Amino acid sequence: MFNGFGVGMGDDRTLRIPVIIILLLAANLIALLAGVGIGSSGVGISDLIAGKPEAYKIIISYRLPRTLTSMLVGAGLAVAGCSLQALFRNPLADPYILGISGGASVGAALVILVGIASTVNIVFSAFLLSLITAWVVYRIGRAENGLPVYTLLLAGVAMAAFLSGVTSLLIYLSARDMYQVVFWIMGGFWTASWLKVQVVFIPIALSSVYLLFSSWNLNAILLGEEHALSVGVDVERFKKRVITASALLTSASVSVSGVIGFVGLITPHVMRLIVGENHRNLLPSSMLAGSAFMPFVDLISRTITEGEVPVGIITALLGAPFFLYLLRRSKLGA
Amino acid sequence: MELEIRGLKVKLGSVEVLKGMAFSLGRGEILGILGPNGSGKSTLLRAIYGVLRPLDGIILIDGQDIRNLSLKEIARMIGYLPQESFESGLLVEDIVMLGRTPHLGGLSPDSKDFDAVERALSSIGMLNYRKRKFSELSGGEKQKTLLARVFAQESSILLLDEPTSHLDISSQLEIMELIKEKVSRGSSAIIAIHDINLASAYCDRLLLVRDGIIFSAGTPDEVITPENIRKVFGAEVEVKRIGGKLYVIPAFRRTSGKNRRVHVICGGGSGSDLIRRLWESGYRVSAGVLNVLDSDWMTITDLKGEVVSENPFSEIGEESHRKNLELIEKADIVVLTSLSVGKGNLKNLEAALHAARLGKLYVIEEKEFEKRNFAGEDADRIYSEIKAAVPDSRVFSTTLSINLLNNTDCKRSTQY
Repeated sequence: MFNGFGVGMGDDRTLRIPVIIILLLAANLIALLAGVGIGSSGVGISDLIAGKPEAYKIIISYRLPRTLTSMLVGAGLAVAGCSLQALFRNPLADPYILGISGGASVGAALVILVGIASTVNIVFSAFLLSLITAWVVYRIGRAENGLPVYTLLLAGVAMAAFLSGVTSLLIYLSARDMYQVVFWIMGGFWTASWLKVQVVFIPIALSSVYLLFSSWNLNAILLGEEHALSVGVDVERFKKRVITASALLTSASVSVSGVIGFVGLITPHVMRLIVGENHRNLLPSSMLAGSAFMPFVDLISRTITEGEVPVGIITALLGAPFFLYLLRRSKLGA
Repeated sequence: MELEIRGLKVKLGSVEVLKGMAFSLGRGEILGILGPNGSGKSTLLRAIYGVLRPLDGIILIDGQDIRNLSLKEIARMIGYLPQESFESGLLVEDIVMLGRTPHLGGLSPDSKDFDAVERALSSIGMLNYRKRKFSELSGGEKQKTLLARVFAQESSILLLDEPTSHLDISSQLEIMELIKEKVSRGSSAIIAIHDINLASAYCDRLLLVRDGIIFSAGTPDEVITPENIRKVFGAEVEVKRIGGKLYVIPAFRRTSGKNRRVHVICGGGSGSDLIRRLWESGYRVSAGVLNVLDSDWMTITDLKGEVVSENPFSEIGEESHRKNLELIEKADIVVLTSLSVGKGNLKNLEAALHAARLGKLYVIEEKEFEKRNFAGEDADRIYSEIKAAVPDSRVFSTTLSINLLNNTDCKRSTQY
């Protein structure tokens, strides 16, 4: 039988998706092993198997929670970025589009300034303030008859600018502990602990599962709100839920790791080129790509120098040129 | 499934867009909604679909009040295709599959959903396009894909908002045929539509909407009249019936030459073009004497102009000649076309001479007279008398170049 242009391609494609998922799972496993096994102390997994108490302390109490946190954060930012790009129908949307990074920075800086900068206090203050920010942006962006995405976008940008000013002011006031705030803003996993894993696991897991189950409706939203309505999606309610879930994901991530840019923006873009735009494939593969990518970046950040380079710097240095490359490529391709 | 709308009023912001509409839609029926931009067509469709809360009125599907139904339940009964356009990298089959959203039980589609998508794609003849990206399709293919999305929804009422806008003519017809075929298999459809001719060709009934009220409702015959179109759209049109369907054509400049009478002496097709052009320019055109079924006779009869007729293949009789002279007397301008002259229509030359002496005659000479004279010397003599009485400025070599400028009755230039 004559197969049209599309049919042959489709057969490749349907075979490709499971293969890609398996490859991504393997990458996650490698990332986990590398994150746990490699470090500046030179302790490896073989030392753990040999039963050295030193190895147990480094690997189980420090490297494992650190690697797990970075995986959770990577997954969370990628899922949030991917969902918001669909919701806003704008490829430039990223997890911080609602001003969340600004809120979290102010929260962390406040605690540091006041001098109660315990891990728990920073995490909760950042989490709380970023959620409040998202809520305020949402309220400002809301109109009489719904939630126009462009108002929301502009409200987010304005709010982020304002909060960045507040953060700078706080940094200026807290001259003594400035490095602490700045280091936090640049993002990193050096303060990882099992406590942090516990804090972020539940919001990231719940929100990710909700968004993964929403992939069908995200596809519908891609056609435009009127088309989504026409297939029976309650658009206004759905938008609220996606924004809530994304805000939770981003707030949880940012509260344990600081502001890590570009991962949430670029991971969905790269995966879109590989698996296409159907969110039933795109969301899970973005999540797995995010969780595999982040431990590697963290590994670079803690091994590239004697001390530690904030992860946010590495993602920006790697991410921005890569993004420009993609931009150029897609422009030439079109 | 039957749809009934009673007393529907909808307010958008502070503007009352629908001001009380009532109508119903029966099974197997295509109802077209016609009206100018901003008359409330799209608002009406959105209100029926239940996404706009009406100020007043009731919408019943099979007797069920739509307000008691969830959006998902409505989407199973009503397939609504909005006008909003978009670009997407989703594949054709992904988009058609979205039509299954209201039927989805779990997370993944099952075999029933895949079957519905298969059927919908095959009904629009796009099975081979299923793995193509939507953004890479042509305008017509995109619209067909969206139609397949609505078909896959398997709802028995279709609400289509301008499904043929921005498409070329073959795609427009294809889309309308697909809708008609779907309706013939037990659905019904309400189509908001701009194109009056498509509406009259495909809709069983029409609603003509103006300023949020139904201005006229009924069959295309009842609704599409020059008067209704003028009142609702503010456009002057002619309504023609071709093959049982109505067609609306713009009345080109029918106002410019109002009440000016032009009599055309012609025959054998030499005057058809001129008659039609004069008619389009708004003149009251008459012609004669013509044998019944002569092609010029057909033209003037078709345009409902006055004509002096003679039996087919008969010589012009005294009675006809007298009537012809009467029309010439009444006319402001008389044109003698480049007709062939034989014994049978020699009297037309005499009539032209009469017009020339009245100073009303214009002459078209596409061919030398000798080459179209089959009536001998008598005709030659009359024709030279005509030429002597008509100034050169009123003799033209083609129908296209004729200019009725120099007529003393014609104050304004009336070149067409």
